[in-house]
Amino acid sequence: MQTTFEKNGFKKRLTSMLKVDFRRMFTTPLYYIMVGISLVIPVLILVMTSMMDGMVSVDPQTGAETVMEGFDNVWQIFGSLSSASAGGASMAGGMSLTAMCNINMLYFGVAVFVCLFVADDFRSGYAKNLFAVRAKKTEYILSKTVVGFVGAASMLIAFFVGAMIGGGVAGLPFAMEGFTVGNFVACLLSKILLSSIFVALPLLAAVIAKQKGWLSILLSLGFGMMFFAVIPMVTPLDATALHVVLCLVGGAGLCVGIGAISTLVLKKTSLV
Amino acid sequence: MNAIEIKNLTKNFGEKQALSGLNMTVPEGSIYGFIGENGSGKSTTEKIICGLIHPSGGEVKLYGRPHTDGDVRAKIGVLIESPGCFPGCSVWNNLLIQAANLGIKNPQEEVRKVLKTVRMEGAASNKYKNCSLGMKQRIGIAMALLGNPTLLVLDEPINGLDADGMRIMREVLIDLAQNHGCTIVVSSHLLGELEKIATHYGIVRGGKMIREMTAEELEASCPTFVALQAKDMPLTKRVLAEKYARVEEDESGYLRVYEAKNVQEVVTYLYGKGIIVSEIKRAKIGLEEYYIDLMKGKGDR
Repeated sequence: MQTTFEKNGFKKRLTSMLKVDFRRMFTTPLYYIMVGISLVIPVLILVMTSMMDGMVSVDPQTGAETVMEGFDNVWQIFGSLSSASAGGASMAGGMSLTAMCNINMLYFGVAVFVCLFVADDFRSGYAKNLFAVRAKKTEYILSKTVVGFVGAASMLIAFFVGAMIGGGVAGLPFAMEGFTVGNFVACLLSKILLSSIFVALPLLAAVIAKQKGWLSILLSLGFGMMFFAVIPMVTPLDATALHVVLCLVGGAGLCVGIGAISTLVLKKTSLV
Repeated sequence: MNAIEIKNLTKNFGEKQALSGLNMTVPEGSIYGFIGENGSGKSTTEKIICGLIHPSGGEVKLYGRPHTDGDVRAKIGVLIESPGCFPGCSVWNNLLIQAANLGIKNPQEEVRKVLKTVRMEGAASNKYKNCSLGMKQRIGIAMALLGNPTLLVLDEPINGLDADGMRIMREVLIDLAQNHGCTIVVSSHLLGELEKIATHYGIVRGGKMIREMTAEELEASCPTFVALQAKDMPLTKRVLAEKYARVEEDESGYLRVYEAKNVQEVVTYLYGKGIIVSEIKRAKIGLEEYYIDLMKGKGDR
């Protein structure tokens, strides 16, 4: 008897893989832990820095006094205005607590999430099953990028919700000075679009490190550092449609490029 | 048509050559016992067949098409090293995930069917991490069976199983080959178990196929003999050697007489020489012994 084989098109394969990856993401505790952390962090930051605002700490050796400065405004936790970034204030701001503890640090959380999610594929042997029977490497990378991007977007939105709650609890002003609601939406959208780079990079690290999750986290933090400095510049609070387009094109372009490298790594290395 | 056809397969891991020109032919519908020492290249070959590692050279064809062909790949079921399940997920969900990956239209029905095939219907809700080794191996088989594969590649599926687990696995594999038309490549060190199910054998050594044969050919290569014990074994051996060209003492302390027609002939002959036989039986060389002899370089008997 002649064995016949049905044709499995790209669309069919990708759709089924996406279904599985989304199902996995939405059923894994890791996703809810990361989204939960993203929700809680801004609340903690805003509440705690507000409580410490104005506190004076004295260095026992030098006697120098340091006044703790909290957030002046809820929106500060999302970044700074482009005009301020362009000036000398950005450097000073970069050293302050409010500039360090903002939404941008969430990109490292995204990296950790993607690394652990992908490492789980290799650790459990799921990836081995996948590649043995059906999947093409390109589809795997594509599926993981899409799912990781949705995960990253969820975390950023959770951060936004957390910041609103935290701002309310801390009693911080919601007044917008120097930017509009439209600017802020563009800022958030730019950050979400930019997160695709912070999904593609850890994905590359994860396919290099395979089941070694810790190694992929280290690698992705290293890779991420190269792009981290760019985030405040391309996603200021007073972002415009141009920033959105820039992040869309840049994010997509880099995503495709890094994704191609990831696919190549998968093709050229052993999967077990 | 052959399910698998491998020609001159080579694989190097750095300086080390894992496969050096391996040839292999697995006929469609067979249960192919893939045998070899640790590090002989069995797993490497299986991983190459499954597309998990890339060969350094040679040709691998599945059903006459390149092994990288996506449509052919979709018809392979694999159990290599571990079943590839998420420990925290239930057996049911793990199988559903794989079913979804395969794009199966009625995943629930299909999962129910494979669970029934491996006799695991009652354990569907168990978390994978809570399953016993035997159950995990059967889940691996169930996973491999999703999508009605025509070719199953199973690496050590019976390792670590208890007697009952082995029996179930044996029955499952025979059922798959006989009633579902599956071609099965199964590697194992448990040659006695393999002998009960395999229709074809491939013996690999040092990354090369040193022998391929059918179960019938193995049967023909494994002669029967009369095994006996007597009080004075050295004397008995000497006396037997006068009549029979091949008399050997085996590891369990029996004298083996290869050319004897039957037990009665030997007993009568020894009785005539004044030797009383304390135990005597007719036996046959099995796969294990055949394999060991082959490894020792004794070749065909």
